[in-house]
Amino acid sequence: MIVLSVESSCDETSVSLIRDGKEVLSNVVLSQIDIHKEYGGVVPEIASREHIKGVTMVFEEALRNAKIDKKDIDLVAVTKGPGLIGSLLIGVNAAKAFAYANDIQIVGVHHIAGHIYANALTKDLVFPLICLVVSGGHTELILMKEHYNFIKLGETMDDAVGEAYDKVARTIGLGYPGGPLVDKLAATGKPSYHMPDISMGDTFDFSFSGIKSHVINLVHNINQRNEVLNVPDLCTSFQEAVTEVLVSKSIRAINEFDAKMFMIAGGVAANKGLRKKIAERITNVEVVVPEFKYCTDNAAMIGIAGYYQFQKDQKVDDMKLNGSSRLNLI
Amino acid sequence: MKKSLKRLIIDSSTKYLYVALYSDFQCLGKYYQSGNNDHSINIMGEIESIFSMNNIKVSDLDEIIVGIGPGSYTGLRIGVVVAKMFGWNNGIPVKTVSSLALIASSFDGDKLILAEMDARRGNSFLGLYAIENGKLLLQDEEQLTNLEEYKSGIQGAYDVVSFGEPNIPLIIHSEIALLCKDIHGLNPNYLRLTEAERNLK
Ligand SMILES: [Zn+2]
Repeated sequence: MIVLSVESSCDETSVSLIRDGKEVLSNVVLSQIDIHKEYGGVVPEIASREHIKGVTMVFEEALRNAKIDKKDIDLVAVTKGPGLIGSLLIGVNAAKAFAYANDIQIVGVHHIAGHIYANALTKDLVFPLICLVVSGGHTELILMKEHYNFIKLGETMDDAVGEAYDKVARTIGLGYPGGPLVDKLAATGKPSYHMPDISMGDTFDFSFSGIKSHVINLVHNINQRNEVLNVPDLCTSFQEAVTEVLVSKSIRAINEFDAKMFMIAGGVAANKGLRKKIAERITNVEVVVPEFKYCTDNAAMIGIAGYYQFQKDQKVDDMKLNGSSRLNLI
Repeated sequence: MKKSLKRLIIDSSTKYLYVALYSDFQCLGKYYQSGNNDHSINIMGEIESIFSMNNIKVSDLDEIIVGIGPGSYTGLRIGVVVAKMFGWNNGIPVKTVSSLALIASSFDGDKLILAEMDARRGNSFLGLYAIENGKLLLQDEEQLTNLEEYKSGIQGAYDVVSFGEPNIPLIIHSEIALLCKDIHGLNPNYLRLTEAERNLK
């Protein structure tokens, strides 16, 4: 079964072709990151304008790279949300028009399901499994007892973890996107700054707004006292506290639900500090981390998720399929 | 007998979504409805139902005419992306036309026609048109400015037209739809930079 998939929920226009939910025949990603850098973050209207500029070119390149004839495509899968609405609507309508013009069935896929299924490219999933979803928009602990069955154990009560990273990066004057820069610097410092308790007790929920404000105040006070801020140490202290809460709650979920596999998903899954801590601490179950290139937004992950979504109940969408900026996975 | 020319016309730049299928100058089916941010839900479903009623496929089209704005950004892009996708996928020639010209075409009279769309913050997208010898002609560059100010500079009698169902035979006769030479380069005409870009300057 060949799936053509489309992802446009934020600032990446991407089209991919996948065979049998496993073999990536092509995965073209047109990133706008250099355009948005100038503004210190993604500007939604600019993102939408860039998506419509590039969309047919990305389709063309993905088909060419995959050496697949349109006639051989069995299913179109497209991200229906959550994300930036103007961006989503370009992908959704491009995908619907493509599906209709070529007489192919279409399914709308949840963006986070895509991030989770990026792991299926690395390993066959074994259930039950726990997945930690960490990105600029999400922080969730998910339990899966079978394919395409998601149970949310907990989520962030305020900021997503990636959001907190970007805010900290901005506070200490690093560029955009700041998360990877904080991660890089954190590898060189010591956890010398005190950080607040962000454990949220016995729940599987998270909260990052407190630690974010703490860092902002800390930097402000140091500047006021004309002291020198040790940037690497601050990054290490922040990253240590954040990854600690992510990993310890993951371990608790693994034990409580007798998970056989643990995976991470989302843009922050590329964080080296987080990967290192997972490798050190989670040793009793199989750990899967997605390849770096499948951590950030891409259509391949949507294609795999779309494949399993279709396998589960054979349900497809019609031409009324719409994008939605807010959308629950479960 | 010469085969008739099948045209799909799309405009989603205002709160009215317009989709029509023409065979030469005869309308085979159309949808013209005011909606509330739901062009994305309706556009493909309406195309599908018009096409199936006429037993036509995308590959049967000879030409697509699409309103490329100016207009409401998010809505506008929905029509343009569908036209762009059909044009690229099936190699169908796509012609672009001003969405203001489509509004102007809906009106019949002997005065000038000022097609107007609200662009918020006291501004409008404006296009001044005249009908001469059965053709719709643009009189001045289309622009984004204050409606009252613009009106004060118009010489001669005019009617302001803010919406109306496009008159496709008039648009075709007027030859104001221009062939897009590079389908990948087909983009809306926003008539304005984004706020972020303006602030950066
Ligand atoms: Zn994402």
